[in-house]
Amino acid sequence: MIDTMFIGLSLSSILLLVALGLAITYGAMGVINMAHGEMVMLGAYTAVLSRIWLDANIVMAIPIAFVVTAIVGLVIERVIVRRLYGRLLDTLLATWGIAILIQQAIRLELGLSFFGIHVEGLGPGLQNVPVPAALQGTFHLAGVEINTYRAFIIVVTIALAAVTWLLLQRTSIGMQVRAIIRNPKMAAACGVDVARVNALTFAFGSGLAGIAGVMMSGFKTVFPDMGTPMVVDGFLVVVVGGVGSLLGSVLSAGLLGEINSVVAALKNDTIARAVIFGVVILIIVVKPKGLFSFRGR
Amino acid sequence: MASRQRYDFLLYGIFVAAILLAPLMLEEFWLNRIAKYLVFGMLGVAVALSWGYAGILNLGQGLFFGAGAYMLAMSLKLASPTSLQQGSDKPVPDFMLWNAEPGALTQLCCINKGSFIWLPFQSQWFGVAMGIVLPVAIATITGMIVFRNRISGVFVSIITLALVLLVRLLVIDAQPLTNGFNRLTDLAWLTIGAFQFDPYSRATYYLVAIALSLVLVGARLLVSTRAGLILQATRDDETRARYLGLDVPSYQIFFFVVSAAICGFAGMLYVMVSEFASPTFMDLSFSITMVVWAAVGGRSSILGACVGAILINMIEAKVSETKALVEVWKAVVGLIFVLVVLYLPRGLGGFAHDLLDRWRARNAEAVPDEGLVAERRDTVAERG
Repeated sequence: MIDTMFIGLSLSSILLLVALGLAITYGAMGVINMAHGEMVMLGAYTAVLSRIWLDANIVMAIPIAFVVTAIVGLVIERVIVRRLYGRLLDTLLATWGIAILIQQAIRLELGLSFFGIHVEGLGPGLQNVPVPAALQGTFHLAGVEINTYRAFIIVVTIALAAVTWLLLQRTSIGMQVRAIIRNPKMAAACGVDVARVNALTFAFGSGLAGIAGVMMSGFKTVFPDMGTPMVVDGFLVVVVGGVGSLLGSVLSAGLLGEINSVVAALKNDTIARAVIFGVVILIIVVKPKGLFSFRGR
Repeated sequence: MASRQRYDFLLYGIFVAAILLAPLMLEEFWLNRIAKYLVFGMLGVAVALSWGYAGILNLGQGLFFGAGAYMLAMSLKLASPTSLQQGSDKPVPDFMLWNAEPGALTQLCCINKGSFIWLPFQSQWFGVAMGIVLPVAIATITGMIVFRNRISGVFVSIITLALVLLVRLLVIDAQPLTNGFNRLTDLAWLTIGAFQFDPYSRATYYLVAIALSLVLVGARLLVSTRAGLILQATRDDETRARYLGLDVPSYQIFFFVVSAAICGFAGMLYVMVSEFASPTFMDLSFSITMVVWAAVGGRSSILGACVGAILINMIEAKVSETKALVEVWKAVVGLIFVLVVLYLPRGLGGFAHDLLDRWRARNAEAVPDEGLVAERRDTVAERG
């Protein structure tokens, strides 16, 4: 049972990293970023490519992936999302288009496959990333056998969640983000440079998703379509947790991850996901604003 | 606005005439394909109704499409010759036998747990009826829960999205009953009296084309009724509509259900034309793709959404003939989508309306129209 709970916790960690970015972008900017899952995918591919071209392992790929996906996120915000503020459902559709573009870019090896050039690590096929020896195997903690790699995921996530919390609560830019979450117009009126803060937040959220992708690459195959289920799961976490509430996202990621692993252990993976969807529908119906949300927004 | 409506109906007439006359100019091979695209056009109508007119972005239309498709497919599967070759005098789907426990009775009632729900589908008309009844029932229940609780906007989208993915997983998981990922294939043809609808025949094409014409005109008439106007008022300002004393949820539920029924109907037609039913009908990407078609064609124009769906699929078929371009085409669709949202938020239909209005305004200038001149005088007076 503790085994299962632990697997659930590592699942929750990945969910949380994906959801944190979405929670901030959705909460602060009112943007539904369907291309967020593609950031996870890009992160995973960064791990693949840095192994092939830079001979870097998963741990070293984390900062690289953060930078790469943050830059991609920044470009998306500057070029497209920026023009759509205030049109919630349109952002959903436009970013879905972006998601397809990014997937096809990977599949067509950035278009190079037309000129007969093949980039190792890209293309439509499946990729694998080996886990470094230090993170393989298991260790014992208080009599329980624990998978080292899963423990690594959990530790990284806790560290990143702490960093995000510190950034939001203890820095001036974090205060501006919180102001925008509460009331963007008022924040702008008080002199917050909303456009700049939004761009940075978007980039940061994308970066977190990229890191989630790197960690997923360690225990799942990497392929161009891997992002779509992630963005769906990420949204479910955000909605269940309550829009704009980071604590809510943390708790609901924990809840959904645990439900998933427990049901998967009792029945199977397919039913586990089905149960998740059922639970989410129930929660939205009973508490449309999510389990934890601000009053007044 | 009366003349606007006249133009509208002129356009609808042209469209209906075009799809009914198309077989005269097309080879038989193309008929089957075009019939599929007409079915997708019907999905465009459903999306335009719920998204464009009700303001409900349903990301789970695939659920209703899939429900309609599976209901008819179950009946057609039992009617298929392959179901009669399983060593029983009553039909049993072939995949059930492949999955059956050794020694299980080869009867629909008890070959596996739950196979009895296939029993009524031995009648084709039960399947046809359920193809509408099931989507309508699901939509009614969902609509009641969602709209009576005043859930709106993106939350509706997320609920419908979760619902379609939930059902998709259940269908895949119930492999002994639904053949899961392996789809329902080897279906019989729909039979009315002694006539069989060969999917590659003109008859099937005409069935689909006439069905689409009826749905199209029906939907157009529906939105210009009082209920349709109230619905648009609700879309534009829900709170104000409520304060006017309107029972907003009833209208929303009604149009949600109509849209679901159209999707279910489309699902049945699709099964007739393509001869399979698959869980991919309930993929998230398919439901979003439907919304893409409607967005490109014009979400607030029923005909626009319908034409958008047909057009995109026709171009896709043309492009996909070159193998290297298949993947590129997907990227192009992504790009088109981004560009349409950015630069043509009302889609091609809205763009056409704007052109039409401009053209009429210019015509009106040439032949001065009383009302318009008076209007212009007012504007001048205001400016002055």
